[in-house]
Amino acid sequence: MSDVHERLRRLLFVVPYVARHRGVTVDALAKQLGVSREELLRDLELLTMVGRPPFQPDDFIDLHVENDRVWVDLDQRFSKPPRLTGPEAAALAAAAELLRPAAQTALASALAKLEKILPPGAKKMYRELGSAVNARSQASEELGILTRAVEERRELEFDYAAPGKTATEKRRVEPAEAFNHRGLWYLYGWDLARGSERLFRLDRMTGIVLTDRRFSPRPMPPARVPNPAARGEVRVRFTAQAAPYLRERFGGEARELTDGGVEVRVAGEERWLVQWVLSFGGEAEVLEPAWAREAVSRAALRALEETR
Amino acid sequence: MDRTERLLDLVALLLDAHEPVSWAELKESFPEDYGSGSDEATERKFERDKAELLELGIPLTYVQGDEDRKDGYLLDRNAYYLPEPGFTPEEMAVLYAAGSAALASGAFPGRHDLQHSLRKIGFFAGGELATPKVRMELGAVRESAAVPEHLETLWTAASARKWVEIVYASPKRPEPSTRKVDPYGLVLRRGVWSLVGYCHLRQGLRTFHVHRIRALKMNASKPRTHDFEVPASFAIDAHVPHAPWQWGIEPPVEVRLELQGPLAAQAGAHFPDARVERSGGRTEVVLTVSLLDALVKHVLALWPQARVVSPEPARARFRALAQAVASRHGGRA
Repeated sequence: MSDVHERLRRLLFVVPYVARHRGVTVDALAKQLGVSREELLRDLELLTMVGRPPFQPDDFIDLHVENDRVWVDLDQRFSKPPRLTGPEAAALAAAAELLRPAAQTALASALAKLEKILPPGAKKMYRELGSAVNARSQASEELGILTRAVEERRELEFDYAAPGKTATEKRRVEPAEAFNHRGLWYLYGWDLARGSERLFRLDRMTGIVLTDRRFSPRPMPPARVPNPAARGEVRVRFTAQAAPYLRERFGGEARELTDGGVEVRVAGEERWLVQWVLSFGGEAEVLEPAWAREAVSRAALRALEETR
Repeated sequence: MDRTERLLDLVALLLDAHEPVSWAELKESFPEDYGSGSDEATERKFERDKAELLELGIPLTYVQGDEDRKDGYLLDRNAYYLPEPGFTPEEMAVLYAAGSAALASGAFPGRHDLQHSLRKIGFFAGGELATPKVRMELGAVRESAAVPEHLETLWTAASARKWVEIVYASPKRPEPSTRKVDPYGLVLRRGVWSLVGYCHLRQGLRTFHVHRIRALKMNASKPRTHDFEVPASFAIDAHVPHAPWQWGIEPPVEVRLELQGPLAAQAGAHFPDARVERSGGRTEVVLTVSLLDALVKHVLALWPQARVVSPEPARARFRALAQAVASRHGGRA
């Protein structure tokens, strides 16, 4: 997009927005528009010069900044922003697909309303471009219960199969956020039995119940999906065939080997490590420590014996 | 006059006009811009301005005059102003939450369009919209600094139907290759963005991971002319699977797995495209597999909660890979 195009779009929005939010602060307006304060002030200065020919005093947009607040005299011409363009609506529709599993009905009706307010000429582009981007996430419809619980601040109960455990456990959680990481959905919240924040993977949750118990949000650090491949003590070597994929994931931390392979160091959580090394089917080798080598070897042998 | 300023003045003039504005009047209103220089040059300048306004969705048309009105340019006010979409709070919440999550992820095609879209649909909403409590993180690859910018260029190219030239580093080839691609679409799967398009080098549809694109250029000539059309039969879903064993590299076979422990209860969630069969306390899933090794490696990582039941070649491959891992780690079978 050209700079002129981008700026013009922004400016056509600013006047109606300020007319609706008179006295909005410069900083709040800059945030709303996603530009720096300086950029916004330059935009506003340009707007004071905009008007209709023959450019008599009354022909200009009456916009001014006073005590760090922005004002505009109601300008009938710019009382509302222009309609959405085809690409604007298509980008929104594509993004909305993220939550398709959570809100089938609301999403379908929202998209129908969106299409209805498009100018006739934009509909073709909207449909074509909307179907050119596919960001639909894969999840069970129960994602909808999660997002609803978060929104309405209602406790959730479910059975959780924690990694490495052979049986599920009952959990009671105050949900804070639904979180998509590498295409998987997680619930982040306060685990009432454990008295701390926890992250749960949606596909490990069963029997989800939305209770009527409300809660007040607690201060919690931002959710982070633990990275088991974080730098640690376990050295793993990969063949030249697997190396390109490791370079993508580890960047500069992947050490180049003379045979074209790479070596990385990862944290040594046994269950994850064994699964991870197995998933390379012979293209990966744990070099040290010895316990990690043995754990992988043991698991591979058992899998082999049981499949005879 | 600055071009942005001229375009805004033009919109202001046309929004105010109650009858078509003639070319002569435009020349008179903008003497420095349209009034001086050769006719050809000023007309070209106005045509470019008009095209810019049309791209912004401004409904500008030229009307032929009749007895009642003169020839000239008209801006259809009814088609200009954003009407109230009338979203319910729930509809607004899903659009706003998903749109904000996509933007916050840092890599979404059409980022600028999406920002404008969210602002416009929020225009009529009373008060501040609540901070959405849905978040997305791609998190799949480390070296992805260029991804947002590349997605933006690909989005622009896909909407303008312009070909792109990419320098692509495939993990399967030692050297990056340069190719011309007609970008048909973009797909997000497991935190990875892929470009699907017609590759002129291979003369067929190909899929490229956006983070493996080292350099990207959009055909800059004739920006308003389409270089290609997307065939009507093209469906983007068909080209980038959700799971790596659906890559369509081998003829599809049905593979049956047995699931145990907690994985059995989550069969449907873990294998969304599979047929789940439960009987007598036993849970099995049947998957259509077109890249066997990918599934076998996945099952190996899930073992002992997942096992291959059939067909025999899949079991044999499982044994071979388990043997390979064991051998590398000094285990003797």
